Amino acid sequence: MTMVKANNVKKSFGTTEVLSGVSFEVQKGDVIAVIGPSGSGKSTMLRCLIDLEQVSDGSIFVENNPLVVDGVYSSGDERKTVTSKMGMVFQHFNLFPHLTVRQNLELAPKTVKKLPSAEIRNLSDMYLEKVGLLNKADSYPASLSGGQKQRVAIARALMMSPDVMLFDEPTSALDPELTGEVLATIKKLADERITMIVVTHEMGFAKEVANKVFFMDNGEFIEEGTPEQIFNTPTHDRTREFLNSILK
Amino acid sequence: MSLEYISKILPLLLKGAGTTLSLFFIVIVLAIPLGFIVTLLAKSKFPPLRWLSNTYIFVMRGTPLLLQLVFIFFGFPIIGIFLNNTFDAPMLANLFRLERFQAAVLGFTLNYAAYFAEIFRGGLLAIDKGQYEAAKVLGFSRYHTTTKIIFPQMIRVALPAVTNESITLIKDTALLYAVAVPELLHFAQAAVNRDFNLTPLFIAALIYLVLVFVLTIFFKWLEKRFRFQ
Repeated sequence: MTMVKANNVKKSFGTTEVLSGVSFEVQKGDVIAVIGPSGSGKSTMLRCLIDLEQVSDGSIFVENNPLVVDGVYSSGDERKTVTSKMGMVFQHFNLFPHLTVRQNLELAPKTVKKLPSAEIRNLSDMYLEKVGLLNKADSYPASLSGGQKQRVAIARALMMSPDVMLFDEPTSALDPELTGEVLATIKKLADERITMIVVTHEMGFAKEVANKVFFMDNGEFIEEGTPEQIFNTPTHDRTREFLNSILK
Repeated sequence: MSLEYISKILPLLLKGAGTTLSLFFIVIVLAIPLGFIVTLLAKSKFPPLRWLSNTYIFVMRGTPLLLQLVFIFFGFPIIGIFLNNTFDAPMLANLFRLERFQAAVLGFTLNYAAYFAEIFRGGLLAIDKGQYEAAKVLGFSRYHTTTKIIFPQMIRVALPAVTNESITLIKDTALLYAVAVPELLHFAQAAVNRDFNLTPLFIAALIYLVLVFVLTIFFKWLEKRFRFQ
């Protein structure tokens, strides 16, 4: 089943074109690593999928529901329905600093989905357990390390039971010794076959966890393949150059 | 500075302090929500609302509070008479004839709301745009984003400035003399003139200090509650 489909997506900031016609498909259970140089449009692509950025042209479908078709957006309600199928984890966590860890997890299910509180409590216990932070449930984000914050952010996104998880450079703001715990958490989700798109600079992670790697450069979708194909036998010069530059 | 003299003038000074306090509380309760509404209007997507809000802030901050008080108390009745003569509407005219204290409440509230609006705007500017993005991807409505996520964080940032403004308000209540409402400073000054004795001024100063002290303690406590740690 196709979870996400992007077709010829274009996006400009002013006169600078950041996405020049990107197309791809993500199947259910896919774990996609999106790699490429800084400024290649990876994050912008991800943000367009969940309606944080507006595309200038092209189409995006999530589980066959249109977010935008040939540059024309669906109605407000439909956009909300489409984006609600996805969860997102940000580079800078974006936890709510005025709420405890548990409140961070529970606020959206409570106010947006209006789930019964017993059910919400079960969910938050389960996801805090999963990210290994049940003992921090009553702490405020300010007292957590970066790695812990990001694991809370992952749990918070999972609380809304998304069909697709988007990760926007989830470890880029972390000290090197803290990236491991976050990557391990994401790997755990991958093992459960949760559909994920991960924009990352962690090539080791891309190799080990992803079943598909997308390579982007200069606003273009250059190639996709299994990690073996992309890392061992890239077909494109630009992919080769990029890999050479970072693996040196 | 005999005790006897102090006990003689104290009741009147305390009565004045009572007026000061009631004006303070009424204005705080009205001006803070009004200020927040003005801030939201200033951020509206509908340009006329933005202009309205910005003009309001400009006029209120750009003219002396004293002028505004005098205008409301003495100017409004004149507008009322004009309206009555033009449209023959005595009800409308009555609306513009305010009691002294009502006029003061209206003037102070309108003026302070403008300052609070700017304080809250500063508080909103301090909030990272990532907070709005996180709220959006979690599906929060605009209303819930504002009330549950942005507002509590804005309060924390704005609190020190709100404390400052509240302390100023306590002292600004002395402007009540402009509309001839006797308050703390008025009674003290009257006693000074009558008795040729500075004691009332010292006592008035002490009362102001006590009021400000209590207020400061209260806001410190609030700040602690909003520290989120």
